[in-house]
Amino acid sequence: MDNRPLLAGAAVLAAALLGASAAGLVAPAGAERPSLPSSPPSPEPWIEASHLPPLLRTAGETAELRFDVYCGPADEAQVDAGCPAAGSVFVRPGAAGPFRELPLVREQSAFPGRLAARISDELARSPRGFEYYAVLRSEASGRSLTLPGGGAAAPHRSLLLADPATVALGRHVFGRVRRPDATPARASWGRGPGQVGLEQGRVPTPIGGSSFDVDASGTVYLLDEANRRVLRWRPGAASPDEVPLDVNGTIADLAVAPDGSLHVLETTAAHGRPPVLRSFAPDGAPRGAVALAERPAALLRGPEGPVVLQHPSGQWLAAGRGGRLLPPGEQRRAGSSGRPHGRAGEVVVLRQANELRLAVVGPVGDLWSSWRVTSDTPLGEVQLAEPLGDRLLVVVRVYTEEQAEFAVLLLGDRGLAKGFSVAASEWAETAPLARFRLAAGALYRLGSTPDGVVVDRFDLEAR
Amino acid sequence: MPAARTLGLSVSLLAAFTLAAAAAHAYHTRFVAENCHTNPPQPTSYITRDGSITVALRARYEGYQWGGGCWNDNDLDDSPGDPTQDPATGGEGGDCSGFTFKVWRESLDESDAGFYQWNMLRNVHGPYTADRFRLGHGAPNYALAKANLVKMDALASTGHIGMIYAPNADGTDQIIEAKGEAYGTGIWTRTYRGNTAYGGVRRLGWTQP
Repeated sequence: MDNRPLLAGAAVLAAALLGASAAGLVAPAGAERPSLPSSPPSPEPWIEASHLPPLLRTAGETAELRFDVYCGPADEAQVDAGCPAAGSVFVRPGAAGPFRELPLVREQSAFPGRLAARISDELARSPRGFEYYAVLRSEASGRSLTLPGGGAAAPHRSLLLADPATVALGRHVFGRVRRPDATPARASWGRGPGQVGLEQGRVPTPIGGSSFDVDASGTVYLLDEANRRVLRWRPGAASPDEVPLDVNGTIADLAVAPDGSLHVLETTAAHGRPPVLRSFAPDGAPRGAVALAERPAALLRGPEGPVVLQHPSGQWLAAGRGGRLLPPGEQRRAGSSGRPHGRAGEVVVLRQANELRLAVVGPVGDLWSSWRVTSDTPLGEVQLAEPLGDRLLVVVRVYTEEQAEFAVLLLGDRGLAKGFSVAASEWAETAPLARFRLAAGALYRLGSTPDGVVVDRFDLEAR
Repeated sequence: MPAARTLGLSVSLLAAFTLAAAAAHAYHTRFVAENCHTNPPQPTSYITRDGSITVALRARYEGYQWGGGCWNDNDLDDSPGDPTQDPATGGEGGDCSGFTFKVWRESLDESDAGFYQWNMLRNVHGPYTADRFRLGHGAPNYALAKANLVKMDALASTGHIGMIYAPNADGTDQIIEAKGEAYGTGIWTRTYRGNTAYGGVRRLGWTQP
């Protein structure tokens, strides 16, 4: 069912009520009780932190680790004084040996990152970079937070790009997009057979068909979370078959295992519970679910099982191995700064302003390949970064205030081997990193219009 | 006359929609009636981005209420399953623009760019819709290029607004937002920054950090 008329009606109602309320004509419910005591429940102390890890550095850059810490409960009149936080980072060269403690220094006017540590030149220039984790503490409550969550078992790694290949994209020319080679899946919005649902009710933007995946045979799996199912298009089939799934119906990510098992990452928690990763048999029979250690962002089919990008650690945490789902503690101890690929390696990504840094890294921080990509047009999120043969396939958003497209870059040892643009095609909201998949030498894009959802294929090997 | 007909149609549509919503959803929570107040805000001489993040984090895990602006800090949606088509069900939480208004600590007077600390249990939405934030309406708000946004700036579309909690290494952002009844209020990773439906908005007058 198309819910646009409903949304339009809701918008009229909202505008009328909000307008009336602003004009003082409609008092909000409860307004007739002018002086109820403002005695909120006493919440437990909490601590939160954010940190942008300097995963890939270039020669001459100062190596700094910066953290912002927030804590509570906080008196509303005192929130601007900031959290009285302290802490240390624990650092070591390379990927082995003891960590050395460095106290974090409070720089009151620094923005962002008021708690900071500068890494010595000796450590910063280590051939295999340095590894670190932080222990942050609220001096008001004594609560502490380890970042990344696995601590010494799964630290962040910061690498020096000694001689990266460089790619200058210049100013992006919008409108010169490549047409897809095929459209293996297409569905209109709705609740019927072969249709994909839009989340119903008061939602701020259209949300539906929030993720997809493609297996080695070219079968396309589209997560239809609003209708609580997956639509599965086999190659050459005129219509999809449907696999019912017991999911919560909000924005979720999807990964299909080589045996056809389905993993669904629910990014929104059920009432009072943490977000979960659900596992299903190919026919949709539930196989289990596991709570996630942190705030989940994206799901990948890793070499040994599902891998989930989680924050505030900012790491890819293994959430399953050998068919077994891992509990939160094990997830934290199995984190990596890069997107895992193959049996040993990972692809590390750092986008800073209009520059994108990428590295393919071995298990102990050995740098196999690296790139610096610059652009005169703002770069957005890196949707995909996966090896393709001896090259790296990267899909990154390029945007202005009015336009957005995705740049598809095939990077080789000497720089850009091949590149083209594809349309953003994003009428409906999806999971954040669920727009592209690489399978059997082809790039697949999940797109949507007011009419429905399409999955397009761009063949990479033939061109 | 055309304007009158349009107004009549709107009123009829409003009435029909309200009746339909009431018939379909008898549910009505008592959260606002039993917990919220209308006390005036406390003027304050300055606000910091970190302070506003702390204000926002107190609302995390609480509910979402279309047109609302009152919540406690018990990390639970106290009115789950609130009918999503009805803005007058008295449920817990702000909607996206009401949440932003309180976190940015703005005034009900659109010409006033000053700073006002609203108690979380003060039921107030503020005068701005997401679209009005997007357009930079009101003295405290102005539109800004998306590439220049930092934490506690916002990304707004015609129907939604969320504030940047932290940027991520992959170019996505962690956004703190009141997303919807099924989502509540929380932090999620989003790609709003590069989405053409969204524009950048900044609240005027931060004292950093």
